Amino acid sequence: MYKKLITIFGLLIVASLALAACQPEEVAPEKVIETVIVEKEGETIIETVEVEKEVVVEPTPEPVTRQGAWLDTVVFVEESSPDTAVTRLETGDIDVYAFSISDAPVADRIYESDQIDYYTSYGSYNEFTFNPVLEFEDGSLNPFGDPQFREAMHWLVDREYIAQEIAGGMARARWVPINFASADTARVADVIAQMEIKYAYDKEKAQEQVTERMEALGAEMADGVWTYNGEPVEIIGLIRTEDERKEIGDYLANQLEDLGFTVIRDYKTSAESQTCWVSQQPSSGCFSYYTGGWVTTQISRDEADAFATWYTPLGWGIPLWQAYDPSEELYEIADALVNSQFDTMEERNNMIREAMPLAMADNVRMFYFDGVGIAPIRSELSVAADLSGSVYGAALWPHTLRFKDRVGGEATVAMPSMLTEPWNPVDGSNWVYDMMPMRGAKGAAVYPDPFTGLYIPCRLESATVYAQEGLPIGKTMDWVSLEFVDEITVPADAWADWDAENQVFITAEERFEELPTAKTKVVMVYEEDFPENTTWHDGSPFSVADMVMGMIMSFDTAKEASSVFSEAYVPGLESFLSTFKGWRITSTDPVTVEYYTDAYSLDAENNINNFRAAFPNEGGLYAQGSAAWHNIVPAWLGEANGEMAFGPDKADKLEVDRTNYLAGPTLEAMKGYLETALADAVIPYEPTLGDYITEEEAVARYENLQAFVGRTGHMYLGTGAFYIQKAFPVEGTLILQRYPDYPDMADRYSRFAEAPIPEVLLDGPGEVAAGDEAVFDVFLDFKGEPYPNEDMDMVTYLVFDATGALAMKGDAEPVEDGQFQVTLDTSDLPAGSSKLAVISVSKRALIPVFEVFEFVVTE
Amino acid sequence: MSDVSVTLDEETTLEEARGTGTSTVARVAKYAAFRLVILFFAVVVAIYLTVLIANMGGYVDEIRRGEIRNAISLQIYMSEDPELKKLSSAEKKELVDRRVTIEEKRRGLDQPFIIRSFAFLKNALTLNLGFAEDMMSDSGSKQVRLILLERLPPTLILWGAGNILLFFFALFTGLYLSRNYGSFLDKLIVALVPTSSAPAWFYGLFLIIIFAGILQVLPFGGLVDAPPPSNKLLYALSVLKHLILPTSAIFISSIAISTFNRRVFFLIYSQEDYVEMAKAKGVSDRTIERRYILRPTLPPIITGFLLLVIAIWMGATILETVFNWPGLGQALFKAIGLFDTPVIVGSNVIYAYLLAATVFFLDFIYALVDPRVRIGEQGRKV
Repeated sequence: MYKKLITIFGLLIVASLALAACQPEEVAPEKVIETVIVEKEGETIIETVEVEKEVVVEPTPEPVTRQGAWLDTVVFVEESSPDTAVTRLETGDIDVYAFSISDAPVADRIYESDQIDYYTSYGSYNEFTFNPVLEFEDGSLNPFGDPQFREAMHWLVDREYIAQEIAGGMARARWVPINFASADTARVADVIAQMEIKYAYDKEKAQEQVTERMEALGAEMADGVWTYNGEPVEIIGLIRTEDERKEIGDYLANQLEDLGFTVIRDYKTSAESQTCWVSQQPSSGCFSYYTGGWVTTQISRDEADAFATWYTPLGWGIPLWQAYDPSEELYEIADALVNSQFDTMEERNNMIREAMPLAMADNVRMFYFDGVGIAPIRSELSVAADLSGSVYGAALWPHTLRFKDRVGGEATVAMPSMLTEPWNPVDGSNWVYDMMPMRGAKGAAVYPDPFTGLYIPCRLESATVYAQEGLPIGKTMDWVSLEFVDEITVPADAWADWDAENQVFITAEERFEELPTAKTKVVMVYEEDFPENTTWHDGSPFSVADMVMGMIMSFDTAKEASSVFSEAYVPGLESFLSTFKGWRITSTDPVTVEYYTDAYSLDAENNINNFRAAFPNEGGLYAQGSAAWHNIVPAWLGEANGEMAFGPDKADKLEVDRTNYLAGPTLEAMKGYLETALADAVIPYEPTLGDYITEEEAVARYENLQAFVGRTGHMYLGTGAFYIQKAFPVEGTLILQRYPDYPDMADRYSRFAEAPIPEVLLDGPGEVAAGDEAVFDVFLDFKGEPYPNEDMDMVTYLVFDATGALAMKGDAEPVEDGQFQVTLDTSDLPAGSSKLAVISVSKRALIPVFEVFEFVVTE
Repeated sequence: MSDVSVTLDEETTLEEARGTGTSTVARVAKYAAFRLVILFFAVVVAIYLTVLIANMGGYVDEIRRGEIRNAISLQIYMSEDPELKKLSSAEKKELVDRRVTIEEKRRGLDQPFIIRSFAFLKNALTLNLGFAEDMMSDSGSKQVRLILLERLPPTLILWGAGNILLFFFALFTGLYLSRNYGSFLDKLIVALVPTSSAPAWFYGLFLIIIFAGILQVLPFGGLVDAPPPSNKLLYALSVLKHLILPTSAIFISSIAISTFNRRVFFLIYSQEDYVEMAKAKGVSDRTIERRYILRPTLPPIITGFLLLVIAIWMGATILETVFNWPGLGQALFKAIGLFDTPVIVGSNVIYAYLLAATVFFLDFIYALVDPRVRIGEQGRKV
């Protein structure tokens, strides 16, 4: 007994020694010299002090050996109530709620929870749409038909009140037609600031201008009520009821009633309201103002078309827009901007500066806030959320969703709805919530950067964009080269169209009388080991034939001679052909593709994503996802046989179901066609694809697909980091499983775990004598580390004098990483309190950061 | 729908009621044919009214046109696709117009509503439910038949479990209370009747908070665990687990009022003269209950039960939404929101047929279970 005790005691000592050896080594605190900002007697000063800092020894990170996704399994489920979703997140019943929550009380619960983190996105914006017709058909007066009356609405509406009180802080007040989360906000920050000052809330001023205009229009004030021809002037507010726009519509109605108008509040849902503002002539008088709301799922890189879109008949082709009558000056600038009639970015930005005050004065659309949404996630997980598209719109979620402390595991993602429409790559569901699991499975050659909207490579090694001299195209990233050339001639052998009857491509030489020129040529070079490194989820190797098939289908479905023709695709193909000039595969080792077109984006990186056969992100090889040629075939045969159709138009016309790769009667039929394809070793579009596919390969692929269907019960293939393991449509559940053969390492996109929006601190003298030079420091950091200057796109400043007028503007000078400097000549500044506003935009996160510093100018 | 035109003639003796030979068959056949014609006419009227209401007398066409133009304009004008951005304003407008025309044609909006309304009626009456306009079944089919059939099993499970449990529990408890009038349990049920003023979904919310949110012993909702178990037995057990809260909500919300109704019903019947007479004759309580109280009450009990069963077809919108239960109620609610006439009409036509058939067969069931009831002309003594 005694011996046993001694033995146990001895073992305990040994174990404790071993455990102690595993403890981190104790390190003495290190003394470092730091520059810190301290406040002394109410004054902010910079001091150099010696501080003791505990040295943290970070363990050497283990190299990542895992391929593909971090998680083993992602289960998608439905949850329509954000409130319940938050409760379920707190209890751990779900891990992510893929929805942008803008309801303030629900958001407060998220902010207060220590179990839930969240990602902020800026994808929505609201405005008042004013009816521009001065006199309705019944002879009644519509004061919104008067531009100066409309302009007065700027002063009548307190945007900050709407954003903070009505939207509960889930919005950012906005004055101008340019989205806050866009590259252009920083480019023209000066004029935006001017507009914000000019049109700040001022009800008295609004009343003055309204009174003046109403009298000018022939109206009279009687007993506190505006009348016209003896009748009260009625304003019809077409107010949406689904969200905070009900209160906002009421707010404007209240403000107008305060000024003496009789307001009829016409509450309507989205569908009901469209019978008025979309379908009817504005002269019918069905509305005077409408509470409009818009959503964007992508960070905008180019807002130059905003003026044409929102203020001129160049916008939508519906009666409301056709009734717009902007000033000639505004129309001309808007027209020039939308048609890219400028040679340099500076010229373009100046045109926006000119258009802005004209548009604000015209004011047929009055923007009042950018919505802020938050997507909650349990705090032990992280994901690369898109600054505009949130979590559900993030292209990189399959590669970045993970538990922070471990590799693998299962996460449950809830979303308001799923499997809303049939999934098929040619013309299937494009619902935002269906797109999220689809992105997990489909794979792509490029992805949009979630923080900048610029495309980054995945299967591509490099790309070169050749642009005609004079086009305002720029580039930001190194993986893309940009070259300007005098002329780009389309090569004779480039494929420029499709002959559906003979099932061969039509070359540029055959399509055009003489070889055309193109405005841009994009050369995409794929990774050296592509396509060998990429397999479809049934194990079939990716091949160039998959890319060619995608391109064929984009033509063939709109050609009358085709067995899969649908007239619904004809207008789309015609508009595509109006700019598309040709494409060709110039090499298969490495795979190299050239693409010629007259269409282009301002960013060279974003010209890569425009070509479907290049295996892009949005869409994929097909309009709604990627597919291998062999899993297109069963549906292709089924449609040719009149049993199903890829698109809704043809399906309705034939009175058959729309092709669904996940479930339902068409999937059952497709299984039969797969057997036919296998038995006959079908090679689709054989006159063309016969050059790329052998019979043996076809049989092998069909066998792979058959085995895959046997395992999973569906036919949806991709090359992404996850494959669809099982779909349960009635139960509303979808299971995605990690695809072990995905070629990239799991940490390839780890840098996108958090939006690197710089934190900005301004420092400088609180008091400056007029005429003295004043130097202000701009400190930029992220997570305590100085922000590299080379990563900053711009640090610009605006100075507003004591009268509130814009006194000067310029760019801050870089000093060292994380520090810029603004040097001001204050001789022209009047005495009083001035403001220095600094706008900083990172190349790595396209959200402008505004910081204001107040200083006093003395005589 | 239509009223039940069976005549109760208490003076007619059993022998007279049975009739004899072929005259009875002819009388029943004639009566059945007449009833069928009346019921069919009622169904036609009801369906056409449904078509008109579901389409708001044709106004839905205007809504659809607006939606189509708005959706296509959004796709064209707000697209970030440089190919589309490059098009001129006139080209974009032309593109939108062409696509709008195609879409309107696809949805049949190129035909006047009045013509389409009769097509809807004809298809509905022949049970050619056709294709939905926007809605999809969960498996992605637009066939109305599949949209409804896919959602039927979950609704049957939920409403079958909830209402049938409720029905029989209320029936037997009501009977028990009528026998124990004035007991503590009787007084308790009477006192609890006001709790039935709140709907099932209201109790559902509380049950979710308590059992899913706080105690975390039962799921928040849904049909089955996610991911669903692959083993069938485990799947069934998982469904049962998910059934507990919604079924409890149905049960709690209606148990007091249902029991109270049955109790009152039985109390009234137990005070009939013939019951008093039987008691005076010394017939046992059991026999009185079975022969003198329960049997004459069978027709209304069966009526209530059958109407309850066919009401399952319409589901329970809010309860199913609260529990995220993929039933017919949710589907119908969605269809109404989308103005999806084929689904609304399809759902209603089946309900109308079920109701008409129930009413038709109830006539015969009454005659079978209640000797005082006779079918046909001989019974008509108005």
